[in-house]
Amino acid sequence: MTIRIAPLTLAVLAATTLLHAPQLRAEDKKYTIGFSQLAFDDPWRVAFNNQMTRAAAKHPDFKLVIVNAQRDSSKQVADVETLLQQRVDALIISPNEAAPLTSIVKKAFDAGVPVIVLDRAVLGESYTMFIGADNKFIGNKAGAYVAKWCAEKNYNPCNVLEISGLSGSTPAQERASGFREGIKANANVKLATSVTSEWQKAKAVPAAAAAFQGNKNFQVVYAHNDDSTEGGYIAAKNANLDVSKMLFLGIDGLPDKNGAIVSILQGRLGASFVYPNGAAEAIEWADKILKKGEKPPKKVTLGTDEITAVNAKSMCEKYDCEAK
Amino acid sequence: MSSTLALPRINKLVVLHTAVRFQGFLGLLIVFLLGVAFAPVKDATNLFLDVTNQMNILRYVAETGIIAIGMTLVILVGEIDLSVGAVLAFGATLTAYLLTTAQFGSLGTLVVVLASGAAFGFVNGAVSSAFRIPSFVVTLAMMSFARGLARLVFGGVAIPLLAISQGGSAPEEAFFVNMRLGGVIPVPALLMFAVAIIASLALRYTPYGRHVYAVGGNPVAAHLSGVRVEFTKVMVFALCGVLTALASFVHAIQLNQGAPNDGFAYELNAIAAVVIGGTSLQGGIGTVAGAVAGAWMLGMIDNILNLNNVQADVQLLVKGTLIVVAVALQRLQRRA
Repeated sequence: MTIRIAPLTLAVLAATTLLHAPQLRAEDKKYTIGFSQLAFDDPWRVAFNNQMTRAAAKHPDFKLVIVNAQRDSSKQVADVETLLQQRVDALIISPNEAAPLTSIVKKAFDAGVPVIVLDRAVLGESYTMFIGADNKFIGNKAGAYVAKWCAEKNYNPCNVLEISGLSGSTPAQERASGFREGIKANANVKLATSVTSEWQKAKAVPAAAAAFQGNKNFQVVYAHNDDSTEGGYIAAKNANLDVSKMLFLGIDGLPDKNGAIVSILQGRLGASFVYPNGAAEAIEWADKILKKGEKPPKKVTLGTDEITAVNAKSMCEKYDCEAK
Repeated sequence: MSSTLALPRINKLVVLHTAVRFQGFLGLLIVFLLGVAFAPVKDATNLFLDVTNQMNILRYVAETGIIAIGMTLVILVGEIDLSVGAVLAFGATLTAYLLTTAQFGSLGTLVVVLASGAAFGFVNGAVSSAFRIPSFVVTLAMMSFARGLARLVFGGVAIPLLAISQGGSAPEEAFFVNMRLGGVIPVPALLMFAVAIIASLALRYTPYGRHVYAVGGNPVAAHLSGVRVEFTKVMVFALCGVLTALASFVHAIQLNQGAPNDGFAYELNAIAAVVIGGTSLQGGIGTVAGAVAGAWMLGMIDNILNLNNVQADVQLLVKGTLIVVAVALQRLQRRA
């Protein structure tokens, strides 16, 4: 039996290179920013990471490290521990769940590391700042847009089909209640039917189709996320509704090729409202906290961008969208 | 074409045999050395070698390690248990429920949760035995069943588990899980080592332990020698269930919640740890210590890759490769 040395050496060399590759880049950055992301597996999170990377690139003395918890809270706790072990100068985190991540965030905060919590909350107050969006506000803006659109088209009644997200989830509840407030601006707007797609396009199609079977007189399809609006669009076409007379709108406003910006440019969705992630704001605040010693507000609520056919092109520029 | 080490023939065989027999520990040592070699150094501290880091690793692998010990027993008799992840989810949610809503107290909760694990395990073993259904199928079904039960019974959402001092309603003693011996060694790791020691001693020095190896090695011969094969098998499933339930208690306390959707793919991590540690999937060969070494090694690899900012996806590649290498080494041992 012989032990072959050459292939073994090659294997070790390959492993060495693989492990050291990230360190071959400039190690002399002054500040290391650790970003614990809960998952990389959906377009909103991918856009989130891209925006974080682009924002950090504007600061030449920032080294950004992004770790993927793969939707596992246990792993995210270990991820944060490892980031702390790497002596990051600031921690940005989008927590998978509130309770499991509270202790480790508190540990980082108590150790003097500035902690910026994004998108989802942890419990208590042991963090530097929280930056998040306001789903109720965004739902309200969507409702106000529908009210305005129905008035311009002079539709009476203006029937709305709502396709909601997962009914137990806070974003769905807030996007629904905000919308109902927003449409009050126009008494002709009627929320005729509400179905659920649980955030998924594949479930939106049959849900909307069932609604169209009962009643073909819908002018507006409003879904809590753009993917579901696309599902509603498919169902409307299948039911032979005149989509050119209808408004399809949703929330997210993503720049990828399956997202709202491209869809609006291609004429399917009529409007979308960006659900912001706070990446750029987080990097700016990290800069202020680390370099200028500024004390940030505990909570920053992000606004939203309205995307329609009118401004789709410039929004495409702003968000670096994947239009052909 | 390839240079070879010119060793006398007998020594090479002995080296190979020893290497494979202790492949779990050898692997652990190699990974540890690689970790030290490739670790970033900041403020004159080797970030991998640092005690805090090593303790973090131990804490993180403890749950997988405890489950892997139970899985070793099952695999030793030539069976498999795919339901551990779902049973963990049920146990964790039950833990949170009993400690908060039901106000059962720490000891009462632990006893009930361990009993629930035993019950799931017992059902796995009994159904497999009585209806002569392969354990792969039975535990696959239990994987679904336990998960569904966890969601149904507890309402499908995570139950927060906070101590009274944190604003919740759970007793403080339950959070002993978060303590560290001497301020250094995390309790989950101590539990893993304690369970490993007890299980190793039991496997080696008790009649039941010998029966486990006998049934796994050759069930027919074992039966003919008077070993109660069915009883032995049902017991290992029950034991695996108890250990999974212990891990679920630790899990819930550490995460401050009991979530019926947790524990996904935990069975794969446990099986990987067992296999990498040198236990054969055919049964009859392997050690509990090897499983702990396997779990520890996987945790170390995750940590090394994280410290060096290597992508999470690469970790999956490494895990997959290791499993194949470990099984191949076992084949080598049998052939040589």
